[in-house]
Amino acid sequence: MRIHSFWLGLLLVAQTSLGDTLTISNQQGQPLAQVMVTRTPLEVPAADLSDDGYTPHGMTNTSPTVVTRFSDAAGKVSFDASGQDHRYRVRAQGYVDAYFDQLPETLVMQPMSPEQHIASYPSNVWLSQLSFGGDEELKKTFQLNCAFCHQQASPFMRNERTEEQWISVIERMNTYGARLPEDDHAPVARLMQEEYRELRENPDRVPLPRSWEDHLSGIEMTEWPIGDGFSQMHDFLLHPNGYIYIGDNLFDRIYELDPDTGRYTVYKVPHDPDMSLGGIMGNRFKVFPKMYNYMGVHSFAYSKKDGNIFITPSMQQALLEFDVETKKFIVHDMPEGFYPHTIRTDDQDRVWFTLALSSQVAMFNRETGKFKTYDLPARGFMEWLTLKSLPVLFSIDAEKRPTPSPDRESTGLPMPYGIDVAPDGTVWAARLYANDIARIDPETDEITMIDFPYNGPRRLRVDADGNIWIVAFQDSLLVKYDPATEAFTHYELPVVNELPYALNVDRQRGVVWVNGNQSDTILGFDIDSESWKVYPMPRQRFFTRDIEISEEDGAIYTTNSHFPTWQSEGGVPTLLRITPLGG
Amino acid sequence: MCRFRVNGAQCAPYGIAIRRRVRTARHYLILLPALICVTPWATAEQPDWLYYGGDQGGRHYSSADQINRDNVVDLEVAWIHRSGDMQRYGDEMEKTSTQSTPILLPPAAGESLVYCTPFNRVIALDPGSGEQRWEFDPQIDRRGDRPFRCRGVSYAEDTSIARGQACRHRLFLGTHDRSLWAVDAINGTPCKQFGDNGRVRLYGEEGHVPGDVSNSSAPVVAKGVIVVGSTVIDFARSKTPRGTVKAFNASTGAPLWQFDPLLGHPDSGSANVWAPMSVDEANGLLFLPTSAASPDYYGVDRPDDGLYANSVVALDLFNGEVRWYFQHVRHDLWDYDTPAQPILFQWRRGGDSVPALAQLTKQGFIFVFNRLTGKPLWEITEQPVPPSQIPGEYTAPTQPKPIAPPQLLDPFLMPEDAWGLTPWDRGNCRKQLASMHNLGLFTPTSETLTLMYPGSLGGANWGGGALAGDSGVLLVNVNNVAFSGQLIPTPAEIESGSSKFDHPAAGHRMRITMDGTPYDIEIGSLQSPLGIPCNPPPWGKLVAVDLQGGIILWERALGSVHEMGPVTAPFDIEWGTPNLGGGIATAGGLFFIGATMDRRIRAFDVDSGDTLWQYTLPVDATATPMTYRYRGRQYLVINAGGHHMFSRGQGDYVYAFALPEEG
Repeated sequence: MRIHSFWLGLLLVAQTSLGDTLTISNQQGQPLAQVMVTRTPLEVPAADLSDDGYTPHGMTNTSPTVVTRFSDAAGKVSFDASGQDHRYRVRAQGYVDAYFDQLPETLVMQPMSPEQHIASYPSNVWLSQLSFGGDEELKKTFQLNCAFCHQQASPFMRNERTEEQWISVIERMNTYGARLPEDDHAPVARLMQEEYRELRENPDRVPLPRSWEDHLSGIEMTEWPIGDGFSQMHDFLLHPNGYIYIGDNLFDRIYELDPDTGRYTVYKVPHDPDMSLGGIMGNRFKVFPKMYNYMGVHSFAYSKKDGNIFITPSMQQALLEFDVETKKFIVHDMPEGFYPHTIRTDDQDRVWFTLALSSQVAMFNRETGKFKTYDLPARGFMEWLTLKSLPVLFSIDAEKRPTPSPDRESTGLPMPYGIDVAPDGTVWAARLYANDIARIDPETDEITMIDFPYNGPRRLRVDADGNIWIVAFQDSLLVKYDPATEAFTHYELPVVNELPYALNVDRQRGVVWVNGNQSDTILGFDIDSESWKVYPMPRQRFFTRDIEISEEDGAIYTTNSHFPTWQSEGGVPTLLRITPLGG
Repeated sequence: MCRFRVNGAQCAPYGIAIRRRVRTARHYLILLPALICVTPWATAEQPDWLYYGGDQGGRHYSSADQINRDNVVDLEVAWIHRSGDMQRYGDEMEKTSTQSTPILLPPAAGESLVYCTPFNRVIALDPGSGEQRWEFDPQIDRRGDRPFRCRGVSYAEDTSIARGQACRHRLFLGTHDRSLWAVDAINGTPCKQFGDNGRVRLYGEEGHVPGDVSNSSAPVVAKGVIVVGSTVIDFARSKTPRGTVKAFNASTGAPLWQFDPLLGHPDSGSANVWAPMSVDEANGLLFLPTSAASPDYYGVDRPDDGLYANSVVALDLFNGEVRWYFQHVRHDLWDYDTPAQPILFQWRRGGDSVPALAQLTKQGFIFVFNRLTGKPLWEITEQPVPPSQIPGEYTAPTQPKPIAPPQLLDPFLMPEDAWGLTPWDRGNCRKQLASMHNLGLFTPTSETLTLMYPGSLGGANWGGGALAGDSGVLLVNVNNVAFSGQLIPTPAEIESGSSKFDHPAAGHRMRITMDGTPYDIEIGSLQSPLGIPCNPPPWGKLVAVDLQGGIILWERALGSVHEMGPVTAPFDIEWGTPNLGGGIATAGGLFFIGATMDRRIRAFDVDSGDTLWQYTLPVDATATPMTYRYRGRQYLVINAGGHHMFSRGQGDYVYAFALPEEG
């Protein structure tokens, strides 16, 4: 109750005093370690948001920098002087959030009630207890199709709904891009109702989330809010020029952000005036109050030769190039292929990307300006026929285009997803629905398909030794493939029922970084020791995709691209950096 | 000195300590009552239906079971009373909605059946025959454009007055022209010792056009304290009159305390309490369902959440201090007033028995609390909601939603869900939906047409819900018609204006200039060119909810649309209609309700949802029925006078039904 919070606030104030370093304890006077303290500037810099609430093309604004640190074993946490007024949020597992406009010297955290505590658990622990009536395949199908945009067992989802209301939700999500088979709608609706209700009645069955650990006091998190509640900061790029380029997938913009100052300049991706919203894919989000994705800004890679940035515009048959010097976009029209997805560049200045819908890998040769496409094999005649008929299908107006009902195998849609270039130049791609990975030899154009003995390979990366690291989405696993031995090794994630979307490898330090989208975490896997470190996110419902790594200090970057963004705590997307403290 | 009681209640010496809890810094205490009866009131000798909501906690339940599942089909008209308003007021009836639920007075108070007409005439009837016994006409000031309505009167006994003396038994009435009257329950004569010869003028020094601030719901009287809320014209102006709740000494009319739900916030108004209030006498608690701050659809001048608007607020009955509150809409931009009387009941779950409160909302949520502490009995989650597109308009980042029971309607309506009688009108609806802003519930209205689902009609509305005894089963009539709305920059040449409607209930669109803002608001039901709602039927429904299980037990369409087309169909079309008014549950396993746009009153089986009986009245019965036992016979009574927003004709009927008399 608010009125109780009011008194609680007074109580907190009564037990605190102001100072530079905060010492946090529990009610027994014991120091509380791993308490997350987030400092947000009270004054938000004025910004030109005159383009439908967004920064106009070429305009520079400043993002208010938000810093999060964790208390050490003595319960102490300090912040550097900034000369600004701030608001502080203090958060610890099992304790009620406390807020201050000045950092006090001491704070006694108030424990949550049992009900508050259970309600505060992240999605993954709730999701772990949904058995879908013991039908493991159904649960995996559900997770594959329903958990790649947002958290599944957040309070938003745990609400009691009638079966009809669940079916309505499922049907709506399928129009947005989920592909839950129609035969599964009714059973999923029934089971969601039954099993969430069962958990609410028996909350003791929900396991405790993983505790925050002592390595946290050795890091600092920095966030830069950009865009608004309708944006989706999908992928981004750390550029050697010191800027970070972030793509707003729903508003055809890239944000060029200087992490030293928080200043960012926005560049709008141009489109032909006769293009429709949603591009050739058609607009799946007609009812959204704001939408400006004629091209789509999906994935980023830069040329090691001239630094130009290549971007996959998912909504078009094209490849985008952004000249980092002139700040101009170049559109390379593509003769074939649909849904440019994840993109990487190689040392030969070739640009490689997956074509998710047409089950291809494309290569753009910058020297010739030509595209080459590699057809990945169909899983059967029907799939081959479907893929071959795509050009005909896409010649039909998007509003009238037939959309086949999905089945569990997603026949006709193997969906090549993640891609990476190995140190030896070999190109690797994963097909999400086909559960296989492709190896392409750029010298011979030979394609080798390798069965992936797990489910849901979304994105992959190659480490310094040439090993392929792949997330198995609905199997909740990190998987390594050693091309030399052709052996797969899987590693359990350190949090239950996580559904990892992407990963990246810090080749220099031998760490694999994995999304923890259901658990509000980022997961770091040390390749040598095969051990994990878990990093909680500074906001709830923080859904990450791309992870980038600073070669200089090992800091990692990611964005919150929960869709819809307004469901995230704070309601705006942020670019997040996690930096080791003290070198 | 203990002065007030309801029939049979015993008062103990006053002076028992009243436990004080949370005290807000900004409430407006005028005068603490010195003389207060704090005895728990006895219920054993209560007559049936002594209060607007059946009891002080608005359960809409009667233990009468003479009429039951087995014999309800035999119900027949016992008597019909006409108030005479039709003849007396002529064309002015078009501005009325008949919403009154009669109460039955105890034998010591004359045992009359008493109700008020939309013009605030108070009429006492013989409960067995419907013959009029007396009438009190406050002769209200009828100037202005606002509609006339009166939901009921309240009764209390002033035990400081000798038996047989005038005004020991008295009735209280709040009027359209903002007066509080006390009249003798025996004969309708104003009580001279109350205010100015029976009248307290609630306007004070403010002064408003009659109807800008008015009274629609019955005052609450308990333990010698009478409390009145108000109805405020809240969508047409940026700064409307305050929604101050006022308490008076029920004996003298002397002011006791007042409570401004907006805490004196200078840039807004309203947040008034127009829906019925509830009282927990035993615990000295008054529960306020507060409405939105003004203006309803534009929030730039309201920078924060707007406490205590859109809340259920528990006040200390005796001094008006806030005990607890819960705000179910923060910074309202949708006219989601708290529309219904808080329902007080005993929550029994897992061996616990907790004094509870259930609050229905227009959003279709049911929030359940421990009514002594405000602690939710079903977890309340914070739902992130989309931000506003209007420059400078604050939007609360999250809104509360109970984890159970489920929402009473599905607030998502996508183009694919469009409904129509023909492919043509369905296609039209699909196009309309595809062009709207729509992120589901709590999508802020913008300069682009925005889906409002549920619209300002609800979900639930002032009819509230009915509890089926101690079963924990709540029966709620729900509106299920999507609206669309749009903020339109106000042209300079447009004069300010209001609407005679508060909601576009009958399919029309209304455009209102919101004075003091840069916008007009245009709202209408979302319908095809044929005038048919674009969302699938039912457009009104009855829902049975197991409050303790947190689940919906059954749903049924409520109402037939056969009279809603250009031509009346010769057969029923049970697609549900918009509905206003509530229902009641009885120990006979029945739920009675009018409320629909088909002139019907119906009886449903509480367990199965089957319709067991229905009767066609001369006009729509947009009032909550009541039932009572009188001289061995159970009567079911409903006011049938139509509703101005339905635009389906008015009347001045009171119908009583009973089983045939034996012999």
